[in-house]
Amino acid sequence: MIQRRVTDSLPTDIDQTSAPALPARAVLSPVTAPPRLRPPSPAFQVRKPISSRANLWLTQGAFLLPLLLWCAVSYLPFLWHPKVNILDPGSVDYFQKGMQVDRAEFRDENRKQIAAGGAPATGVRENPVYLPAPHLVAKALYTAFKTPPLRDGEPWLHESLGHSIRIITLGFLLSALFGVPLGILCGTFALVSRLSEPFVDFIRYMPAPVFGALSVAILGIDDAPKVAIIFVGTFFQMVLVLANTTRSLPAALLEAAQTLGAKRRQLLLNVVVPGVLPLLYRDMRILLGWAWTYLIVAELIGASSGISFFIYQQAKYRNYDNVYAAIIIIGLIGLGTDIALKWLGRFFFPWEKADA
Amino acid sequence: MQETLALPDYLDLSPDLVKRFRTIESRETILRIEHLRKDFVGRNGDGAGMPPVLGDISFEVKRREFICVIGASGCGKSTMLRILGGLEPRTGGDVRMNGHSVSGPGADRGMVFQEYTLFPWLTVKKNVMFGPRMSGHGKDASEAEALQWLDMVGLSERADAYPHQLSGGMKQRVAIARALANYPAILLMDEPFGALDAQTRCQMQRHLLQIWKNVDVTVLFVTHDLDEAILLADRIVVLGARPGRILEIIKVPVDRPRHQGQLLSPHFLAIKKRLEQLIHPDDSEALKDLPLMRMTQVGDEAED
Repeated sequence: MIQRRVTDSLPTDIDQTSAPALPARAVLSPVTAPPRLRPPSPAFQVRKPISSRANLWLTQGAFLLPLLLWCAVSYLPFLWHPKVNILDPGSVDYFQKGMQVDRAEFRDENRKQIAAGGAPATGVRENPVYLPAPHLVAKALYTAFKTPPLRDGEPWLHESLGHSIRIITLGFLLSALFGVPLGILCGTFALVSRLSEPFVDFIRYMPAPVFGALSVAILGIDDAPKVAIIFVGTFFQMVLVLANTTRSLPAALLEAAQTLGAKRRQLLLNVVVPGVLPLLYRDMRILLGWAWTYLIVAELIGASSGISFFIYQQAKYRNYDNVYAAIIIIGLIGLGTDIALKWLGRFFFPWEKADA
Repeated sequence: MQETLALPDYLDLSPDLVKRFRTIESRETILRIEHLRKDFVGRNGDGAGMPPVLGDISFEVKRREFICVIGASGCGKSTMLRILGGLEPRTGGDVRMNGHSVSGPGADRGMVFQEYTLFPWLTVKKNVMFGPRMSGHGKDASEAEALQWLDMVGLSERADAYPHQLSGGMKQRVAIARALANYPAILLMDEPFGALDAQTRCQMQRHLLQIWKNVDVTVLFVTHDLDEAILLADRIVVLGARPGRILEIIKVPVDRPRHQGQLLSPHFLAIKKRLEQLIHPDDSEALKDLPLMRMTQVGDEAED
């Protein structure tokens, strides 16, 4: 018995005053796990990094898995496909060629026709019109930029996109112009924080779209109210997020700077600002994503415009492949921007460790 | 450890040391602490009625002296250093630097902290340039200054590295260079080597003594490591806890220059024994046994 276990029967002649032993059953016996010969696979180790090759595979998998699922649902007719596309209406009087009906309805009608001695309809199973197959969306992605708008005066896709990007950039820059300094000041001076944060917090909880009607009334129906919505949607969050980030600067750095002779202004400009800049930059990357969320609302108020209007319009014409294409384009722009900003961040802040 | 060596009296100073202390005492007083008191009272009045963190601290530091402050945890030694540095307000008494009452941090009192406080966004060189830049020196002058100090701590080759690329010992060497680049009258050090491994620590102690020898600076060094205190200090201020107060100020009876080899010399052991008595008196909490029950097999004892 090598197990470390409390002995069942303790000899009584041992001096037990210094260390009285409890009855054995009061103590859990040590868990004896069988020895593992192979080291555990790193896949599910808590907070352990994985190899860079696995990293690459997983990143690709993150996109491939949803795509595979989409392909499976689209190309395997026995998976889902709840509709039937009529090829030959047979004797069913309201069926027409190319019409899409529910499978249950198709079955019922055919049963009735067979019972009545009429010709049954024929058709193929397919997915609802709102789920186009990947290849159709891929084609739409390619042709979307080359297809002229349905009506004169309507913008091309690239014009819509350009407009959206302009609105976002303007709104976000405006928001940053005021939000970054205010956030830093809030995180640095208790006075500024107490004076502004409660009100900012109050507005922050109002959904930006509720200001839609108001901003149209004040700013007209063109781009100005849209920029205003993006501003409202991001500015108030930005102030609070950046203030909290600024507060996370270790006090020890400020103290060290003070003992080196830095005065208030120097502390702010030479310690606080450079100290939190990489973190603020990271926050801004996240906030930029929020700006896109508000864009969709912003573009539908006043005179509709931009990529949201394009999506709205295409959905109205039931061109769902174009809808998906536009959504994917937004995603790609977002992802591209984020990767670019991350890369730029490494260039701007060489002292930050790679993963920060 | 029942048998006792015949140790000399810890108050016994060699003629050389007597002469040295006479020289030190003839120098001007850099720092005078008078009846310093610190109470922690929260905003809601909590902490009122508790004994003060620092009761009634008074002592003087002469120019070019090396003072170590030791004490059990909770005796307020770090708090005292932070008050001297101006990072925390005192609630009573006075602290005078060169005759002027201290009211906030200033470049005349350089500080080195236990945690690493190099600015991560600045290179090593620019970290050292920080002080001179803040006091309005030009870029070129500050850079020349910084390179000189980096040379002093043996890190001129790493001038363009960022702090996260340095080892712990290197970081603290840069921190010392950064503090010295301001030509402070006194260097306040708060367990600066506490986070370093034993070997680096020894090396840093040697470095610090060399720097102190060559630079006109006074050092007030807080530590909880008795060996470190004896190895470095001219005088050791021993603090007691609750309320934080001075138990004794001891002149270290170990000859200079100091080196690791003295760690077992009779005078070293004599003062160490005295410090142990002061910090861990027989009835102290630290010497009490844990209320343990035996969880091993009989006959399997680790020690008798």
